[in-house]
Amino acid sequence: MAMRLTLGEMLGAGTRGVGRYTGTLLAVFLVQTFITIVCMIAIWFALSRAYSHLPMWDEAVDGDLVALIFCIRYGKASLLASAGIAFGALLLWQVVSWFLVGGIYGVLAQRPEGRAETAKCFGASGASTFLAYARLMLCSIPGWVLVVIALGLGLSQFASESRLQHALTVPQLLGPIVLGSLPALVLLHFFWTVTDYARVELSLRQETHEPSVVMTYARTIMFVLRRPLTLAHGALGWLAFALISIGYAWLAHGHPMYGAEGAVTLFVIRQGVALARSAIRFGVLAGQLELGKTRALPPRRVEVKTETKKS
Amino acid sequence: MKKLPKADGSPALRGGGAPRSPQIASYNIDARLDAVRHQVTGKETLVWMNTGQSAVDVLPFHLYLNAFKNEQSIFMKASKGEMRGAKASDTGWGWIEITSLKIGGAEQVAKLRYPNLPDETVVELPLAEPVQPGSSIEIAIEFTDQLPEVFARTGYKGDFHLVGQWFPKIGVRVSAPSGDRWECQPLHINTEFFADFGKYDVALTVPSTHVVAATGVLVKAADLGGQMRQYTYHAEDVHDFVWMADPYMEIDKNTGRTPYIGQAKVDDGIVEVRVYARPEQAQFARRHLQAAIGAIEKFSNYFVPYPWPIMTVIDPPVDAADGAGGMEYPTLVTTAGDSVFTRPGVRIPEYVTVHEVGHNWFQGILASNEPVEAWLDEGMNEWADLHVMQDLYGPRANGIEWGGWQADIGWMREAIAGGDFDNLPSPIATAAYAFVDNKAYGQGTYAGTMAVMTTLEKLVGSTKFLAAMKAYAKEWAFKHPTGRDLFAVLERELGMDLGWYFGPTFEQVGGHKLEVRTADCDKVHEARGVFGEGPGRKTKTEDQAPDTGTYQCEVIVQNTGVVHVPVEVEFKFADGSTQRETWDDRGNGNWKRWVIERSSKLVEVRLDPDRKIMFGNPVTDQLRIDGDGSASLRAAARIASWTQGFMQLVGP
Repeated sequence: MAMRLTLGEMLGAGTRGVGRYTGTLLAVFLVQTFITIVCMIAIWFALSRAYSHLPMWDEAVDGDLVALIFCIRYGKASLLASAGIAFGALLLWQVVSWFLVGGIYGVLAQRPEGRAETAKCFGASGASTFLAYARLMLCSIPGWVLVVIALGLGLSQFASESRLQHALTVPQLLGPIVLGSLPALVLLHFFWTVTDYARVELSLRQETHEPSVVMTYARTIMFVLRRPLTLAHGALGWLAFALISIGYAWLAHGHPMYGAEGAVTLFVIRQGVALARSAIRFGVLAGQLELGKTRALPPRRVEVKTETKKS
Repeated sequence: MKKLPKADGSPALRGGGAPRSPQIASYNIDARLDAVRHQVTGKETLVWMNTGQSAVDVLPFHLYLNAFKNEQSIFMKASKGEMRGAKASDTGWGWIEITSLKIGGAEQVAKLRYPNLPDETVVELPLAEPVQPGSSIEIAIEFTDQLPEVFARTGYKGDFHLVGQWFPKIGVRVSAPSGDRWECQPLHINTEFFADFGKYDVALTVPSTHVVAATGVLVKAADLGGQMRQYTYHAEDVHDFVWMADPYMEIDKNTGRTPYIGQAKVDDGIVEVRVYARPEQAQFARRHLQAAIGAIEKFSNYFVPYPWPIMTVIDPPVDAADGAGGMEYPTLVTTAGDSVFTRPGVRIPEYVTVHEVGHNWFQGILASNEPVEAWLDEGMNEWADLHVMQDLYGPRANGIEWGGWQADIGWMREAIAGGDFDNLPSPIATAAYAFVDNKAYGQGTYAGTMAVMTTLEKLVGSTKFLAAMKAYAKEWAFKHPTGRDLFAVLERELGMDLGWYFGPTFEQVGGHKLEVRTADCDKVHEARGVFGEGPGRKTKTEDQAPDTGTYQCEVIVQNTGVVHVPVEVEFKFADGSTQRETWDDRGNGNWKRWVIERSSKLVEVRLDPDRKIMFGNPVTDQLRIDGDGSASLRAAARIASWTQGFMQLVGP
């Protein structure tokens, strides 16, 4: 019978994973920061093209709403380009993350010693599961479609335009939105967790069982349904993620940092917050891997060769 | 049962005294509200005086509620059943029907005719016996109103009733070069109202469950039995009467009045300000109250003192605010803007209140013809609102002061309009019903007029301009001023011919298209190249004609619009020094070139650096010669950080 892991043990595995492979966490974060910086530079060029000759833009960036409105109207194309760059970075990160998550699972599963071994293991694992993760993404599309449908139905049911328009308080505004989004959020969390555990399975059993991606995804749906612990563990991770984000927003509210120095300070502080959130995500992956190890093994793919003897 | 409020016990005009208006049209109305069917039945006695030079043989009446009768009214055709975000409902049609009209006891209702069919918002009564100049006529009318479900200024929403433009109201006899004529326009989406001053005595019978507020002062409130109450109001020197009835408005259990009451200090006297709101809007009611008190004090100071003892502000329920909010009547206005997004510091609710209260001067006291010259009340009021908002909430952040963001309300409106003044399809001085669409009407009438008048004020000096406007208000209070009257007073008081300004800004399209065309600098040196001929030919190279260390900068500015005003140009140099020039392009062509030689390089050119000119697009008024990307870097860092947050959602 498979070992039953507790939530505490999963959280412990997360903490140990972060502690033991802090270097891996930092390396992944470095990749993320690199993409962020590239994105920032590209946006900087796009904005500079439109606004570097416009003194009003300085006032806009430093909190003059009137100047901002004028500048937005003036430089729509550059702002659209900036949005496109940001979206492109997001897509790129999504693709890169298939490699990075595979690498993280590989390292956590194989527990290599030393920097060189860890890097080697990370690269090999990421590369070996990359295509499987890409196929997994395709498999998960019907799930995401369900989420979108649930969101549309939920919001139209609870958060009608007039209801939101007439909200006088934050609870009146957010209540219907949360209520309307709840079924979609639950579904989203479910399919997200399924994808995570399917990735664990693909990483752990890639070499030994060569599991089919479609079958893995289907089996993982059943696994997650049978083990609500998977959902609770993931939800805890998101809760911590949200708390850090909200805490930062609350602290930062009303403390604008003006000038280039302020921008750099703000960027550094935000990187600190981002690192903390990355650590949480890393810890969650480590916990998922521990639980994933306790799953029943998938059926082994057996290749049957037949030979016919000629008489 | 709700406590019956006591009578106000004050005269209809603050301090009493003789009426200040000619009181041409006075009404005595007895009306009853059926709150379930949203119907009002009324009996009205109108006394109208012919103050013109010629006899009158036809009387026109506004029947505004017929604008909501069917899709054939001019209003419904133009609005398509939608106004300011509120939509007409298919079950909420409204109408008014005159059931009896008597003169001297003789029934006349069969003689009524509609001159603009199929529109029924104006009805005419041919008179058997003309009304001679200087004489009066008394007309007894009985009518029934079906209130519309509110989407444009009047009607009901649930149990809330805003009863405006609800009784047959006579048109205005105006003098024209060709002789006296009636001004009685059918209701159009862009037009509001125009009526003569008079005296109103109105008795309102409503269910005792309802809280009532109305124009004027409450002279009597009595229980009639049968769950009905009668409120009697008296108003003087007003040109309209409106009332509100709603069972859920918050009232003080002991007084039967709203708990949101304050006092505005005016001209050594007091104006009582009352805000009516439902309990869930309490926090906004307090904001509206402060804004209304401030507005009354400031408008009284800038123009003429508020003449009435009470100002009532109705904060409609949130689901009625789009249709019923933001409307002005004498001594009673409705406000709007209550929303989760208008937190303290986002002063949209305050601005709406200031604007509507301000209409008690611009149209309430200075009763211009709204259908024909809407800019004269809406736009002039917008201009005055900026002063009041700046006085009340500071010069820079009077519109928004929240989360590190700041905005002046006037400039914010201009920014949102975004140079629309330059692209108006019709001049500002276009009749409200003649604008190509509602958007053009809004751009010209509101933001356009505000920008034009603010710019003029800055050009001639604020103190002088405000004094001139005060003179206009004093001269034309309780009369029907026109745009020409305003221009005449301004020219007289400012001591200058302003035709060069009023013509292009109010009567032409084309705007003020000012921009820095080019700005460039070169290092100065002796001329290089080949000089002379034959044996004397010499070549001067860079070494022989080195840079002198000074710069020659050329700046060209242009204005391709039709409006030309003197504009200051500021040149900023690398050493931090600045130089200002004034370019007066009136009659001097559409462009100007400056060639400046200095030891320090020109780094920036700003037209109108003090932002005196409110129209046009300030984005084109400035140019930094060598780009500076530091602000873009700050913005990019912020956007990239947000992107990173999303990246962490989808990946590790």
